[in-house]
Amino acid sequence: MDGLAGYVVRRLLFLPVVLLVVSFGTFFITRWGPGDPISIYSGQYRDPEAFARVRHTYGLDKPIIVQYGIWLKDIALHGDFGVSFRYRDRTIPEIIGPKIWVSVRLGAYAFILTFLLGIPIGIYAAVKQGTWLDPFLISVFLFFQSIPVLVTVPVLVILLAVKVHWVPPGGFDGIFSRSMIIPTLALGLPGVAGVARLARATTLGALHEDFVRTARAKGLDEFTVITRHVARNAVAPVMTTVIGLSLVGLIEGALITETLLGIPGIGEYTFQSVNAKDYNVILVIVLLITFAFVLANLLVDLVLVAIDPRARLAGGGGP
Amino acid sequence: MSNKLVLGAGAVAAVLIIGLAVILFVVAGSGGSSGTPAATSSGATPASTVSGTPAAGDLRVRASDPLFLDPAVAQDADSAGYIVEIFSGLVRLDKNLKIQPDLAERWDLSPDGKTYTFHLNPKAAFQDGRPVTAGDVKYSWERALNPDTASVTAENFLGDIVGAKDVANGTTKQLSGVKVIDDQTLQVAIDAPKSYFLYKLTYPNAFVVDQKQIAANPRRWTLKPNGTGPYMLKEWKLGDRLVLQANEHFYLGAPKLKTVTFLLSGGSSLTTYQDGGIDVTGVGLADLASVQDPSSPLNKQYHKADNAAIDYIGFNTNAPPFDDPKVRQAFAMAVDRKKIASVVLHGAIPAATGIIPPGVPGYTPDDKTLPYDPAKAKQLLGQSKYAGKMPQITLAETGAGGSIADATQAIVQGWKQNLGVDVKVQQADAATFFQDIDQGKYQMFHLGWIMDYPDPEDILDVLFYSKSRQNSSHYNNPQVDAKLLQARTEADPNKRIALYQDIEKMLIQDAPWMPLFFETSYYLVKPYVSGYELPPMVIEHYRNVTVNHP
Repeated sequence: MDGLAGYVVRRLLFLPVVLLVVSFGTFFITRWGPGDPISIYSGQYRDPEAFARVRHTYGLDKPIIVQYGIWLKDIALHGDFGVSFRYRDRTIPEIIGPKIWVSVRLGAYAFILTFLLGIPIGIYAAVKQGTWLDPFLISVFLFFQSIPVLVTVPVLVILLAVKVHWVPPGGFDGIFSRSMIIPTLALGLPGVAGVARLARATTLGALHEDFVRTARAKGLDEFTVITRHVARNAVAPVMTTVIGLSLVGLIEGALITETLLGIPGIGEYTFQSVNAKDYNVILVIVLLITFAFVLANLLVDLVLVAIDPRARLAGGGGP
Repeated sequence: MSNKLVLGAGAVAAVLIIGLAVILFVVAGSGGSSGTPAATSSGATPASTVSGTPAAGDLRVRASDPLFLDPAVAQDADSAGYIVEIFSGLVRLDKNLKIQPDLAERWDLSPDGKTYTFHLNPKAAFQDGRPVTAGDVKYSWERALNPDTASVTAENFLGDIVGAKDVANGTTKQLSGVKVIDDQTLQVAIDAPKSYFLYKLTYPNAFVVDQKQIAANPRRWTLKPNGTGPYMLKEWKLGDRLVLQANEHFYLGAPKLKTVTFLLSGGSSLTTYQDGGIDVTGVGLADLASVQDPSSPLNKQYHKADNAAIDYIGFNTNAPPFDDPKVRQAFAMAVDRKKIASVVLHGAIPAATGIIPPGVPGYTPDDKTLPYDPAKAKQLLGQSKYAGKMPQITLAETGAGGSIADATQAIVQGWKQNLGVDVKVQQADAATFFQDIDQGKYQMFHLGWIMDYPDPEDILDVLFYSKSRQNSSHYNNPQVDAKLLQARTEADPNKRIALYQDIEKMLIQDAPWMPLFFETSYYLVKPYVSGYELPPMVIEHYRNVTVNHP
């Protein structure tokens, strides 16, 4: 597989270029607008002289292009991504690390929910092809997919927290607590339809394979045929494809869900950092997301090739 | 296909979903309001859930992360709330906002009112046991003013000390006005006999820090600060929890309350309180009515506290049409603030009676503001130079998302109804908002002011003196300036307060501000907690609390 390895290396070599371009853009956009982290955290104190002194201490009075150069140099020489203007006594990885961990576990819950619902529903819909149940089931979950989380979250809060008090209306009481139910539903349900449709398609394919006919011919009952022979062959491609594709949706969803529910994950912290104009933290987060997207795209491309040999590897180009 | 398959797939899904639910519910441990007796040892690390078993002598509250635990740079109420527990200064405020000895057990003032001699409490010590010396105080102040420390506010609080400006500018590192006489004695020279100087020393920026610790670990010492206050920082997990532990050797006596656990994740504080996850909580306006309902079980647990803070609309006295005092007066008189307070704010937040907020000397409860008088307001507007040619007017406030507070809407409605003037409301993010205020870009703005120390100078002088850096309304009145300068150094406390009350009257008449409301806090305290009182300003207040969980 020399061609494939070369392809992966070429794609990965392109990554630093993407990160550099994104960092340049983010650096300029965040520092261009009005205000700065100093004046924001100063709140009711507005002493232009003191602001100027503090800006000078942090080098924020230099031209943006010079600041960008210093930022790059510090990364290259010291691996230092700069200070956070909010929690000056911690490094940026120390600040965002625990928040990413919260989001990763929340994302894992959402994935589990998506697959636990999506795969059985997809298989069942395939088995019921031609009856009203097939389009009905898929449509129900397409409905959830169509509603933005901005709407899902408040509706779930009203239903589960305000009306029946099953779960707290927000907040975060640890990853193993009732407060994770609403975010898990909000992040997990929209993906169900996609998984179900893929699982339905792969199941339909598998249903007409020779080995299925053989299994039936052996006299196995239909349940065993589906679970043992069809499902096993239908599920694997779904898993790999969807994990890559839903990463994008999860990051977007987490930003809104975490902010609305007050979950101290990376989504909520991104929102806070943008509000506080915590330049260096915003940069690191944007670069991490970029990194994740590039890798996810690469993964999806590779999986698609593995599943369908007809898909061609794009030569050397962009991600 | 077969029915078996339906059952089978359903069963698999059900088992898996139940499995997920089990992870969520059961592993979470004891949930909720069962109120198990506090039999567990307090040494065990609490599980990362708010509804764990409460420990005796531990108070649990919901709060926000401190931005800074370095007293020199802290300037926000969230940070100050922790700093006043972990650190201390020469003097402190008691709950009645009177100056009390702290690291200094007594002090003398020279006859000219310009030199303070502080005598340190011989028992005063850092939390690691090292005694606090006069040199530590001098170091702490020089460090706070040093530009490398990057404090935005230190000069506000230490700037009266002779030589402070030179340290702040980076000209020197030595604070010339501060002399170490011996380990226990510190002499401080200020630039004029300002009686409010001691108040400024109660602010975190003037607190004492450990030179040795900072020298050893300049960037990260605040993660385990060696303070002088009644509580030590035991644990701080960003966005999760912060735990303070009693400093048993505190020089003013060991705290009764052994630990304070601050839960830092967001969410509904009131719900957590009702579930038994925290012991005290603030109550927002939206929940106030249900808490005040006499039939509510929460009613007996509810308390009220005045904050030394005011909400106001500031007029830019340089910008048309508010450069004409008649227009400012007309706008102030066209809004029925008392009605808004009682109807829109459900009587929870009182209309301001003047500019000086409650708790601050010079405050009086009688209403001194311009009365609500629509006829007079219309008449004043007719006499103004903008009569019949009123420019487009915009009110700026912080906020986003276009949902404008009910109170603001009611105010704008008052202007439309009584003056026939349409005022647009413009929301801006904090950065843009403050920058545009400073540059005089807004005609008027909605803002609040929280007192940093209980002296009228901290509002009247800081916000209305023509040369003040925080004079947001760009107000310039030579008569007011003269009186402000006189009040700064007036030696007789009664005369001084009377001067400020005069200034307040002049300001209300000339109307660079339309005072709106005095801020008020509502909070709930569990019946098993005693001695908890929310102070009107950020001051140390956990030491004497006792918690006896049922």
